Amino acid sequence: MSYITGPEYVRYACTCGLLKSLPNLYFCRHCSQLRCGFCVCPEVDSIFCGKCSENIPSAEAKVKKNKCANCLICPSCQQDLSTRIASKGVVNPDDSKSPAKKTYYLSCYFCGWNSRDVGIPDQTSPTGGWPERENVHSNRLQELLDSYKQIMLSQKQQKENDKKKKFGKFVSYTDRTGITASALRKRIGIPDIPHAMLRKPKLPESSTATTEVEELPDKFFTQEIDLLEVTTIEQRLLQPESQPVTVDKLFPAHKQLSIKKSLRCRHCERNVSKPEYNPNSIKFKIQLFAYYHIPEVRLVKVGDLKRGQPCEIIIKFTNPTQHQTTITILNLDLAEQERYVEEQQMMDISENLEVLSLQFKQPTSLPSLPGSQPSSLLSLPPRQPHLTIKSRKIKQTVNSTVEIPQSVFILPPRDDAAEYDDSNDTHNIEDDSNLVIWRKSNKVCIKLLVNIHEGETIGEEVFCGFTMDHVYTNIIAANFENKQPQKLNHKVRIFLNLGKM
Amino acid sequence: MPIYEPLTSEKVAVVLDIGSAFTKFGFTSEFAPRNIIRSQVRCKNTNTIRRLYDFQSAEDLYDLLVEFIHTIFFKYALISPKDRPVVIVESLLCPTLFRESLAKVLFLQYEVSSILVLPSHLVCLASLAVDTALVVDVGYKEAVVIPVGFGLPIVQTWQALPLGGEAIHKNIQVLFNNTSTGAQNLSEEVLEDIKVRCCFVTKKSRADQLALPRSDLIPVPDIKYSHRGSQTLTVNGKIREKAFEILYEEDNDHFCLSTMILDAMLLVDRDLRNILAENLVLTGGTCMTPGFKARLKEELLKQLSNDRYRKLNVKQFKFHSMPCKENYASWLGGALYGATEFLGMKSVTKEFYLKEKHLPDWINLKDVESARFGSDVTSARA
Amino acid sequence: MSRNNIKIFSGALVCEGSKLRGDITVGSGTIIHPSATVIAEAGPIVIGENCLIEEQAKIIHRVPFDQQNKENIPILMIGVHNVFEVDCTVEASKIGNNNVFEPKCFVGSRVTVTNGCTIGAGCHITEEQILNENISICGAKCQMREGLDKPAPQNLQMETLLKMLPNYHYIKKPNMKQQV
Repeated sequence: MSYITGPEYVRYACTCGLLKSLPNLYFCRHCSQLRCGFCVCPEVDSIFCGKCSENIPSAEAKVKKNKCANCLICPSCQQDLSTRIASKGVVNPDDSKSPAKKTYYLSCYFCGWNSRDVGIPDQTSPTGGWPERENVHSNRLQELLDSYKQIMLSQKQQKENDKKKKFGKFVSYTDRTGITASALRKRIGIPDIPHAMLRKPKLPESSTATTEVEELPDKFFTQEIDLLEVTTIEQRLLQPESQPVTVDKLFPAHKQLSIKKSLRCRHCERNVSKPEYNPNSIKFKIQLFAYYHIPEVRLVKVGDLKRGQPCEIIIKFTNPTQHQTTITILNLDLAEQERYVEEQQMMDISENLEVLSLQFKQPTSLPSLPGSQPSSLLSLPPRQPHLTIKSRKIKQTVNSTVEIPQSVFILPPRDDAAEYDDSNDTHNIEDDSNLVIWRKSNKVCIKLLVNIHEGETIGEEVFCGFTMDHVYTNIIAANFENKQPQKLNHKVRIFLNLGKM
Repeated sequence: MPIYEPLTSEKVAVVLDIGSAFTKFGFTSEFAPRNIIRSQVRCKNTNTIRRLYDFQSAEDLYDLLVEFIHTIFFKYALISPKDRPVVIVESLLCPTLFRESLAKVLFLQYEVSSILVLPSHLVCLASLAVDTALVVDVGYKEAVVIPVGFGLPIVQTWQALPLGGEAIHKNIQVLFNNTSTGAQNLSEEVLEDIKVRCCFVTKKSRADQLALPRSDLIPVPDIKYSHRGSQTLTVNGKIREKAFEILYEEDNDHFCLSTMILDAMLLVDRDLRNILAENLVLTGGTCMTPGFKARLKEELLKQLSNDRYRKLNVKQFKFHSMPCKENYASWLGGALYGATEFLGMKSVTKEFYLKEKHLPDWINLKDVESARFGSDVTSARA
Repeated sequence: MSRNNIKIFSGALVCEGSKLRGDITVGSGTIIHPSATVIAEAGPIVIGENCLIEEQAKIIHRVPFDQQNKENIPILMIGVHNVFEVDCTVEASKIGNNNVFEPKCFVGSRVTVTNGCTIGAGCHITEEQILNENISICGAKCQMREGLDKPAPQNLQMETLLKMLPNYHYIKKPNMKQQV
């Protein structure tokens, strides 16, 4: 739960340069890259009503204006309305056995609004036939729209005609002899009808302005206003067409539909997340969350944060995959990322893609780390130019340096049964005791030393970062081609917020 | 009912009018927006609500817009934005940074197929079917007056003042502070609610008397405004009447809402002045306040006797009444324009954007040059 | 704290686990759940007939802040058919009939509740006011609305409780005869 509500102490740098906590990241198995909500392409997967849990095809939703045909919401508080039964005597008063006559009305359980308040008559069927209200101006607007459509159509055709004429190779016969089509028609005796395309569309009638304006009614000056009678702006905007000012004009509105969305990697166009179709299901067909693929890092303990002396921090690594991985801690090489982003932008310029952002973008001042070696961190082939999301520079500045340990350590695969296994861990892994201080099943705690930079003041938040290189076992190729699972080194930059100095 | 989608059916375009307070959203060839929502997003890091126009930098604005457009498409429109046309209605005075960021978000982040950008002052006339009018747009941040002559906005004569919802909210707060009721630092939300539910634009005769230090006016009844059940504010009659007076109080340069309109008229051609005076169009949410139109007319007539405007030679003012509510008048124009072939003919396509890297703009000389050869965006109206 | 003086009319159902302090009269047909709290601190409380007081609900009759002594404090009269739902706190100075206090709401001591009001879940009403008849308050903004009808009485629920509660809880014996 701390992930959802608490502050994010450990953040991972997405491929696009944004920092997110691990549960907010996706991992595209096909490109073996991290993706975040910003650099995936969302799509509408299915449309459903949140109240009646019914799937609605997109075409039907379009016709229904993205509103549920059956469910209504309260015009007063925007909560769902429910139908209530009111019995009104019996159908046949003479026959004592006749069933009670039932009528239905709408009521809001939340604020107590009901359809009788505004004088909507009770209905005889529970599903409705609730009166719908029409836009009073729709006739006039439809008329306008039709004539505008015609005007534009004729303009378009005229334009095309002009083009044809310009490039026409042959002069028409009638033009040369001076006999126009219209004259010819007359001669033959056919009534002269101008060509359909040449006919001028009828202009719509303009509205006329008047000197008379609505005067402010005198009741404003004398009458006391009961605030309970006046609608709030939210209540008005719920019904954009009528925007009622008083509560007696509030009519129930149809409930807005909701969607399930699927996410697609912009690189390889494959889904990273796809929900199940059933609106009642909260499961996914595809869910490539980074949480299931990238080792999770947690801060366990932070020593005293003092300038001038190394601070000891303990962090825990957890391997979520079914494969053993080896983790190497590397320098946080921000210059490399910066170069990569710049390279991309240069490429963009040469590709005539994206220049706009440069003029706004200020080069962020990042501390240049001495001794940064060129690493194969971004050994990917250059991006395809059609990609439209460009990477950013990582904005987070670090004010402390992690002392990079010399040794590597191994994370065993996740084993769900290990929890019930009382016998001690049987992984015979030889660890560097300076680095690894605790180990159990797929979890390892390590000790790192952090040096805070000179010139930082007390009370400032200390950030540090490192690059985690882990062996990622890609089983996709294995599934497809019966090959050995592919192993590759994947690197993630991780930023830690160590708290205040 | 057959509910399969014919293959040939045109993709309907989303029409967006992003205002500084409220965003109007809907589809082309519909006569009312689907939703009118606040132009704000919830900031995920700080968990606070942020207005779109309160951006700090270009990148910040980009992020805000990505979030906001996501809400529009996936919460309200329920369609994937990819390869769809979008109609945007915007003010001619919209900041370049804002419109360029919006285009960037739509084209690059959401991969829309084309964007049709329409000037709000022009398109709001579509629902009236007139081609010459003086359009007064009183929104949240500012009031903008731009005359439209024969289907062309006369941009040179634009007038703008920061008189709108925001100024009124501030004024209400000032009025509260003066009454010493203990109502300090009311939130924007409460001020807006008080404005909407309690205040109105009073008549000129009463306003003049209110301005006097002592008057024997019978005050408007007070309203007890209960705020979250724990605080009751007394919105006295004076506040209710004076809230909107800020629109007509001339500032140090003697500018106010009514002078803006007349100044715009002074700048246009002499022959056009009377036509404009007889074709006044009011748009924007603030115009929906009770008594707004009547008061504006009174103020305009009063200003005419001023020396500055005597040479206008205007005798009367005529107002159009819209076949819609004022707050979505521009949106409706966009929906009408977008429903015609105009969408295909004049919109900026993705290919064009990727080549040119910006939206054509009237303020950009390069675009003006190229527009001479092509046809003007605004000449489309017959 | 003054001595407890609890009068329960026959037909009322008061669970042993409820916390009653001070001078309290419970009308017949009223149900008080276990762990409900009724404190008559400033003066007597008279609960009318057919009220329902659920778990964790608190009804407190307090001495107003600006008053030092306990003199001249009227009896807190609670009308009939009121529902006090789970974990509500009601300190209102007067309560009429057919009101509903939804879960976790708070009603301050300067509020007078008339008839047919609904105080929504989580709403805090503290400002001195008299709630008109059939007012319903709901939402985080304590939005007020005036309805046409009073909320429907919870008769079915009450009947079930009258049957079920004695099976699982000790019940305080009514010590008063049926009111005439």
